[in-house]
Amino acid sequence: MTTTDEKAALAPGRWTHGLPPPNVVLQPGTLLSGDLAFKRFRSKVERALVIGAHCTMDGVHFDLGEQGRVTIGDYCYFTNAVLLCELELLIGNYVLIGWNTTITDTDFHPLAPAERIADAIACSPLGQGRPRPAVVKRPVVIEDNVWIGPNATILKGVHIGAGAFVEPGSMVTRDVPARAHVLGNPAQIIGEVP
Amino acid sequence: MTPDRRLEWDWYPGTIPENVVIDETAYVETTFSFTFFRSQRSAAIRYGRGASTYLGTLFDVGPQGRVTLGQFALVHGARIICDAEVSIGDYALISWNVVLMDTYRVPLDAASRRRELELVPTRVPRLACADVPARPVRLGANVWIGFDACVLPGVTIGEGSIIGARSVVAADVPPFTIVAGNPARVIRELTEEEKNRHAT
Repeated sequence: MTTTDEKAALAPGRWTHGLPPPNVVLQPGTLLSGDLAFKRFRSKVERALVIGAHCTMDGVHFDLGEQGRVTIGDYCYFTNAVLLCELELLIGNYVLIGWNTTITDTDFHPLAPAERIADAIACSPLGQGRPRPAVVKRPVVIEDNVWIGPNATILKGVHIGAGAFVEPGSMVTRDVPARAHVLGNPAQIIGEVP
Repeated sequence: MTPDRRLEWDWYPGTIPENVVIDETAYVETTFSFTFFRSQRSAAIRYGRGASTYLGTLFDVGPQGRVTLGQFALVHGARIICDAEVSIGDYALISWNVVLMDTYRVPLDAASRRRELELVPTRVPRLACADVPARPVRLGANVWIGFDACVLPGVTIGEGSIIGARSVVAADVPPFTIVAGNPARVIRELTEEEKNRHAT
């Protein structure tokens, strides 16, 4: 992961992680920090997290469920993003994600009230081994050269086209076309990037 | 603050940078707030009388950035992204996870962003800091900002205004106005009675 030189150059307190889980693949030049990065990493699949070359993942939370799979391209730069993945997140090259932004591919709980009661019981301390009802999950795709500002949220099933610019605090609930400039809750197109 | 610029109560083993000026009555909870501070200006951060910053506050301030906190300004947990100027007025109240930014740090056009990201791994520490124009953010006196709100580059918020939680403020806010939403819109102005009511 980090070379000794890079580690030495960094401030204390931010680079205290150990080795990543065995199903994590980091390509050369990629720097990953934060002792909480894999605190909620539960994926059992092979190559669950693959991060390309020359990426910087500073304080990112990789919260992957048992079937979760996250693929990140080259030259990406994420600061304190929260990636919640039960199915699949596909992130291209040259993607920048700002502080405290959340990306999720799941609704976490079912919509129907009775199913939610069953889910609450299954998730409770008394629910040991009880199966949870099905939850809607849809992959998130973020293409190359996308910029996502701080405090944004990207919801399940969203496909963000290449070069798009997502303003800070945006709540992205629907697909964003390539090179669109979006803002708001729900995010609306306010223009196009050059 | 101790003579070697540490804080007796600090959980983080840092120091307060030389060019951060802290009034003797001000309070800094932790020097972790300065881990992204790299301004080279004199008095690059100035804490006024009775001003305070708490745990979640981070000064992500570039070489030419300057941040001022007025008297009794209370910053609970803002991420201040500043390459030019962010000023916080007297008696301002800033909640947690608020973003105050005077720059996007990357150009809007995709090709230039790509070039910037190729440079990031060559820097120590790794930072995105393209030379894009910064536009000062100015919060007037007595402004109150709710949690998770974002104030975008170039925005001025007038005296006494209130920004609702999770708002994204993309345009100037007049004085004594309540705004909320994403993008933020005016909910109402404070009434004359509210403006003239005094604390008892």
